[in-house]
Amino acid sequence: MPAEPTPPVAALPPAVRRGSAFTRLFQGDRGVVLAFLLPSLLLLVAVVLLPLAYALLLSLEGAQVTVVGGHGSVSGSFVGLANYAALFANPGFWQALRTTLYYWLVSILIEVVFGIGAAVLLNRRFRGQTVVRALVFLPWAIPTVVNANLWSMILDGDPFGGLNALLMQLHLTTAPVVWLNPSPVLAQVAWLSHALTAVGASLGMNWIIVGDEWHTLPIVIFLTLAGLQSIPHEYYESARIDGAGPWATFRHVTWPLLGPVLAVVLILRTMQLLRAFTLIYTLESTGLPVLSITAYQYAFTFGAFGQGSAVAFLIGVLALLIAFFYIRVLFRTEFVA
Amino acid sequence: MRRSRPVRGAVGTLAALGLMAAGTAAVAPAAQAKAPVTLKVLYMNQAGYTPAVVSKIVAQFNASHPGIHAVVTFLPYPEMHDAITTSAAAPTATYNVVLSDLIWTAEFAARGYTIPLNKYLNKLANSGAIPPAIWNGFKYDGKIMAMPFLANFQNFYYNKAILAKAGFTSPPRTMAQWLHQMEVIKAKGIVKYPYEDSWLQAEGLTCDYVRTAAEFGGTLFVDGKPAMNRGPALQALEWMHMLYAKGLAAPASLEADEPHAAAAFTSGQVAFNTNWTFVTGLMDSKATSSIVGDGVVAPFPTYNGQGSGSVSGYQGLAITANTPPSLRPAAWTFIQYATSPAIIGQHLQSEWPIWRSLANSPQEKAILGARNVAVYEDNLAHVQNRPIVPNYLQVSAIIQKYVHMAIAGQMPVKQAADAMVQQIEALPAIP
Repeated sequence: MPAEPTPPVAALPPAVRRGSAFTRLFQGDRGVVLAFLLPSLLLLVAVVLLPLAYALLLSLEGAQVTVVGGHGSVSGSFVGLANYAALFANPGFWQALRTTLYYWLVSILIEVVFGIGAAVLLNRRFRGQTVVRALVFLPWAIPTVVNANLWSMILDGDPFGGLNALLMQLHLTTAPVVWLNPSPVLAQVAWLSHALTAVGASLGMNWIIVGDEWHTLPIVIFLTLAGLQSIPHEYYESARIDGAGPWATFRHVTWPLLGPVLAVVLILRTMQLLRAFTLIYTLESTGLPVLSITAYQYAFTFGAFGQGSAVAFLIGVLALLIAFFYIRVLFRTEFVA
Repeated sequence: MRRSRPVRGAVGTLAALGLMAAGTAAVAPAAQAKAPVTLKVLYMNQAGYTPAVVSKIVAQFNASHPGIHAVVTFLPYPEMHDAITTSAAAPTATYNVVLSDLIWTAEFAARGYTIPLNKYLNKLANSGAIPPAIWNGFKYDGKIMAMPFLANFQNFYYNKAILAKAGFTSPPRTMAQWLHQMEVIKAKGIVKYPYEDSWLQAEGLTCDYVRTAAEFGGTLFVDGKPAMNRGPALQALEWMHMLYAKGLAAPASLEADEPHAAAAFTSGQVAFNTNWTFVTGLMDSKATSSIVGDGVVAPFPTYNGQGSGSVSGYQGLAITANTPPSLRPAAWTFIQYATSPAIIGQHLQSEWPIWRSLANSPQEKAILGARNVAVYEDNLAHVQNRPIVPNYLQVSAIIQKYVHMAIAGQMPVKQAADAMVQQIEALPAIP
């Protein structure tokens, strides 16, 4: 029996000719790109998007831990935006928000100024450069909990606390200072002290920023240094030939080309700072309730997973807004340049 | 296996054993008859009944109960509650037997995280073998939520050498005498700060506030309503702020937890410390103290010089509600074993025993000294429990925040007390 002739491709119905939607998705270069991206995408969905969606769902429920019939779960009825409304009506939430924003803003300013400054210096050639780079990077290698305990001993409020003992032996102070007490700063200048307290500043928070920056500034320096080293040397050569001084070179060459790297560094650090927990909790317990500690306290201490999830979700939204700002400003800088 | 020390003395002990055995006779053999099961136990990493002691108890239990294999996890106090909460959120319990602080009793009962143990403990609770004050820490709404394990409470500690240098031959009996002694010690420059307490913004601060109110003859709650802005509770807050403001309490108190405050006392830096029973062992050991022989435990000074005033820190063993029913008899068998007079009697040097028969035993007097036993009983008799309410942790968080601010002078005392009352009254009830 003669074989049935195969119809020409052009004669097939369009749907058959193009294959299924799934098959088409993997055709050509797009297929290769997707094949490489798929594992990461699946992981992203599993560990980021699904938990995020679950957190959003919990934040809209009066969710709490229940054990029914010998089986535990986190469940609750739909309450709409009631958890958010309760948070916004709670002065403690606004205090936590102000403290968090203060912590983030001061830390980021330190990191931009000292991080870029140190990176520019380390980018120059000098004798012992490798040793200095290694020493600068050392604090980053210390685990966060160890760093927290280290600062706990340095800032101990007793006379034998590291900093107190040093200051008292040098006769710079006569009595020990409780460095980690969340007391107002610059109490001698009442109006300034009130203003700083209103924006979330306190003695304890300032020292936490010092302890955190000692630990994390190295990674900012080194990521920025990597960004600096990716800038072609010819650009600096051209600037020099055009007679640009160090500031003009930094302003018109380094800064614009560093923008994208800086945006990544700042987004990374912003996310870390907004959800910072370990150092603050280790040093202050719940005495300095930033947003992450508030979320933890609501969910795990008070058992109110709905409100805890609402705080956690707001931290995410805040991080997203700040990241959006960075991208708009820093990437645009590059294009304008 | 090391043989257990025989516990003598004890008609009461035998009676207690009999009662416990009667309550569980139908359960224990059934558990042991089954195939080996794994029992997960959560215990606190603490100074009284240390992990070493509890590990030994668990090893003894496993050796004597071939049908059950108990595995213990140790966590620091701040992580205990949250670990129990997350265990309760799982379909099947992460931990079957948990060490439950008395302040969680109402919450765990109301939310159903742990199961009532009435069927095992009703007879024992009414027998008088364990003081009713201890049972009260684990009862809520008629349910007994845990079997007492640790009878922890606070004591008043002073350094007799420092008092002698200041010209005092006996500890203070009234709050006025205590204040006078502190002022003299400071004025003579014997130590920079006469007193250190654990006023870090954490649960220890609530304990110290409850105890100070008890010293002034009152409580934080009257008829179930917060009463921090009047009477003894307000006096207590004014007292704590005054000690800080006058430099009588070490400023470091504001960031000190209990071990930190104890270290200041045992290193001889301060004359007074108010702390849990673990300090007794700490101050008399050369390994942990530089004031061996000078540290003395005493009843607390009170406003009128009568009695004492302490705060409880009882801990019990409870069974989690999402433990499968088939495993619950094994869980009770473990609790029964670990809390039995025979086992508690092996560790009298570690912690004040829950059993009356052991507290009054010759062994306890030999370990602690007859005088100290009398002091312990006095302080235990005047102990105040923290409020047993389902939303206790929210209540305590508010107390901690405003008491800390009031002590440090960041808010006037009365204003802080009013804010505490207002916010506690506004808390939503736990369904």
